[in-house]
Amino acid sequence: MSSLTRTPFGAVFRTEVLLNTKRVVPYVMMALFGVNAWLWWARGAATHYGWATNGDFFIMRNFTGFSFLTLPLFTAVLMGDPVIRDFRVGVNPLILSKPVGRAAYLLGKFFGNYFVLFCCQSVFALALVLFQAFRPAGMVVLPARLTPFVLHYLLLVVVSHMVLGAVYFTVGTLTRSPKLVYGLGVLFYPVYITSMILLKPLPTNWRIRLDPLLTVWPGIVQQSHGAEWENAASINQLTFNYDSDVIINRVLFLLIAALSLTILYFRFTRSEPTRADGAVTLLDLSGERETVFAGEDGRQSESPIEPSHPLARRVDIPVVRPAEEGAGTYLSQLVAALGVEFRLLRAERGLIMLAPLAVAFSTLELLFRVDPEGSYSGAYASGTAKTSLLFLIALVVFYTGEAMHRDREVRIEPVLWSVPAPNFVLLLSKFFATLLMSVSLIALIGLTAFAIQLLKRDTPVEVFAYLTVYAWIPLPSVALVAALSIALNVLLRDKYVTYALSFAVVGGLFYLYTQGYNHWLYNPVLHGLWSYADLAGTSGAHTPILTHRVYCLAITCMSLGLAHLYFPRRLERGLEGEGPLGSNGWSILVTCVALVVAVIAGVLLLLPQV
Amino acid sequence: MLKIKGLKKTYGNQIRALKGIDLEVPKGMFGLLGPNGAGKTTLMKILATLLEPDEGVVELGGLNLVAQKGKARRALGYLPQEFGFYPTLTAEQTLDYFCRLKGVTDARERRSLIDALLERVNLTSARGQRVGGYSGGMRQRLGIAQALIGQPQLIIVDEPTAGLDPEERVRFHNLLSETAGENAVVVLSTHIVSDVSNLCSRMAVIRQGEILASSTPAEAVRRLDGSVWEASVPRESVAAFKSRFKVISSQTFDGRVRLRVLADGGAPGDEFNHATPTLEDYYLSLVSSTAEGRRG
Repeated sequence: MSSLTRTPFGAVFRTEVLLNTKRVVPYVMMALFGVNAWLWWARGAATHYGWATNGDFFIMRNFTGFSFLTLPLFTAVLMGDPVIRDFRVGVNPLILSKPVGRAAYLLGKFFGNYFVLFCCQSVFALALVLFQAFRPAGMVVLPARLTPFVLHYLLLVVVSHMVLGAVYFTVGTLTRSPKLVYGLGVLFYPVYITSMILLKPLPTNWRIRLDPLLTVWPGIVQQSHGAEWENAASINQLTFNYDSDVIINRVLFLLIAALSLTILYFRFTRSEPTRADGAVTLLDLSGERETVFAGEDGRQSESPIEPSHPLARRVDIPVVRPAEEGAGTYLSQLVAALGVEFRLLRAERGLIMLAPLAVAFSTLELLFRVDPEGSYSGAYASGTAKTSLLFLIALVVFYTGEAMHRDREVRIEPVLWSVPAPNFVLLLSKFFATLLMSVSLIALIGLTAFAIQLLKRDTPVEVFAYLTVYAWIPLPSVALVAALSIALNVLLRDKYVTYALSFAVVGGLFYLYTQGYNHWLYNPVLHGLWSYADLAGTSGAHTPILTHRVYCLAITCMSLGLAHLYFPRRLERGLEGEGPLGSNGWSILVTCVALVVAVIAGVLLLLPQV
Repeated sequence: MLKIKGLKKTYGNQIRALKGIDLEVPKGMFGLLGPNGAGKTTLMKILATLLEPDEGVVELGGLNLVAQKGKARRALGYLPQEFGFYPTLTAEQTLDYFCRLKGVTDARERRSLIDALLERVNLTSARGQRVGGYSGGMRQRLGIAQALIGQPQLIIVDEPTAGLDPEERVRFHNLLSETAGENAVVVLSTHIVSDVSNLCSRMAVIRQGEILASSTPAEAVRRLDGSVWEASVPRESVAAFKSRFKVISSQTFDGRVRLRVLADGGAPGDEFNHATPTLEDYYLSLVSSTAEGRRG
């Protein structure tokens, strides 16, 4: 073992582990996984149905659920950029000029990061093992056991994520694009769910063999034994044996991981890939050949010697009169910044992939039977608004983070921050660009739903129904998520911590909603709290929805106010500022007013008649 | 005139980057010379309103740059040491964006300004190219173009030639000396002595957060007239010279060491000849004497 650590592979492996110990992400992951394990143990289905918390079925269910829920995104965060990091900080020529083989370098990177991921994931499994020591009243616990936890964890979580990790690592290393990896992480869900739907007609052994996360396995075993969820005794007696189908599955996916790493080995280059547009660097734009002036002793001369030809044509720069500060100037600056932000957003390659998927994922169920709910258009619009919500939230969180940190990443920040544009121009341009992207996506989803409705001849087609649903539900929700995301990015200053926290909060909230805890106050996206009839005003629930949207809008304004107040580009010290209130004064005013409105709307939502 | 009084800045890790800078910078090109870590970039960032000083005042024609950042940014043109542009935008789109952010709202005015700027920095033929494909020199020229938008009264240029090849450096020097107007204060921060000697009418030397000297380059060189000596000596005698004289520079070549020595009272040895002083001699003598003083 000690000889392995002295090899180049061992050195790379150890350095990766060391680097990860200095990052925030692994610790956040461990904390989240520990909390997740506690939630599912203490408040999950086992306590609800009376299942044994250390029974085979519950262990399997927990591990497959854990493997599916947020883990693919965390796997992308850890496995996507180990090699990209080296190229980004410029250490790659130093490492790759040493006698380190490609295999040692790549495998050291891969297994070093995978080991860290393994340690993080293990917190979940370890917590479940330890919880066996506690036996609260009403909870069924079998005699303490270790083997099923270890076995199921290794085969269901570790192997599954080794495959995903290998794919993310390969894509990230070959493309040098972390965004593409995160795009894949987000894409995993619709692709996985769609493939599971498509595999449903196949015989069960094939469904097991082809399922990368084996999430269908517990359900299939449960059904084959005729065990009902409500029947705790039969559920607790279920045992899971690794038969040939499961073994074929695990071997198949390990082979895919190996294949992915093999492709990487052959395709990996030690230099930065040359970009097509890099060719312009060869252009000689000087026109005239310029000379290096040197004194007789070879040193550069002290006074510049006039070149025989001018290097650039002497052009007088016209005198312009910059507009005075005021609403008109600010609006012009905001429009310019918004135009640039939206153009940059459009240039994101991931969006080209994600937009059609969002549309397909959101409109897939419309191809099957749609219940009219009083209006076909209302049902179509409501269906797409509900299915697209999670997708839209994920996109908004991701692209807001990208927009908020892009200026620093491309190093334009010092130039941009020295221009006389107020902070709200810089912040609102990012907010509105993300909002505009979401609106475009919602419009695309709406148009697709509209077309499907026409094709299926579910008439009458009412445009107003679509507009009503989208204006009331997804639009305010994405505005709120974008504003919260902007505030979090400003306060936390780190894109990845913000992503992890946002996805953890969203995941946690949606988990609570599905468990029945979905009060209006902490359900800003109104998940499961509305129907088309409420929006059309035929059910009498129009007022609470209106109040809730005001509540939502107030939180949106409050988040933007806070983001403006804590934006690191300083305009003034404290409350001393230019103008009657100063920039900080305005931020505090907007935040306070929004807070008061949010509190009033919140109190109204708590009233019994609401 | 740019006036800096008692400017202090200490970072969170207790590093005193500026220890009370006092400086008066007249219109024209002003060189701020100093080794790496001297506090040049900290000073530039404070002038560019990107960093808050702990103490001190910076005034540009009556405008307080520390307290009135909004107004100060209207008078500023800043080319940072490390910067980039959005790689997917073209040079024209980039300049258009900065023009609008600087308040040039009239479309016709903006177009003629962008045309002139691109022509001035020799990027007209690459105006439609994405900036992501530009070479370091082209990006630097685009950087100076954006800094010139809106007739800035204060242009701050931080280490502009670091990383440029000699040809691009000459091109940049010429561009800067052509564009640096008589009506603006141009502060050029650099650790390359020839940048200052080629371009600046006045200069200051900064080290460890303090201004060591401020004068014109010619004046600085004149102070060393008759006191710079040069000789090629055996390696083993270098230590003896170093203990007796202020050695400005020593370069090993072909087994012997070429020494440049500062000595007011005649030749340090028989093998020494008078050498014409350069600005580099002045800079090195100043910087090394401070270092020696600190060691002592």
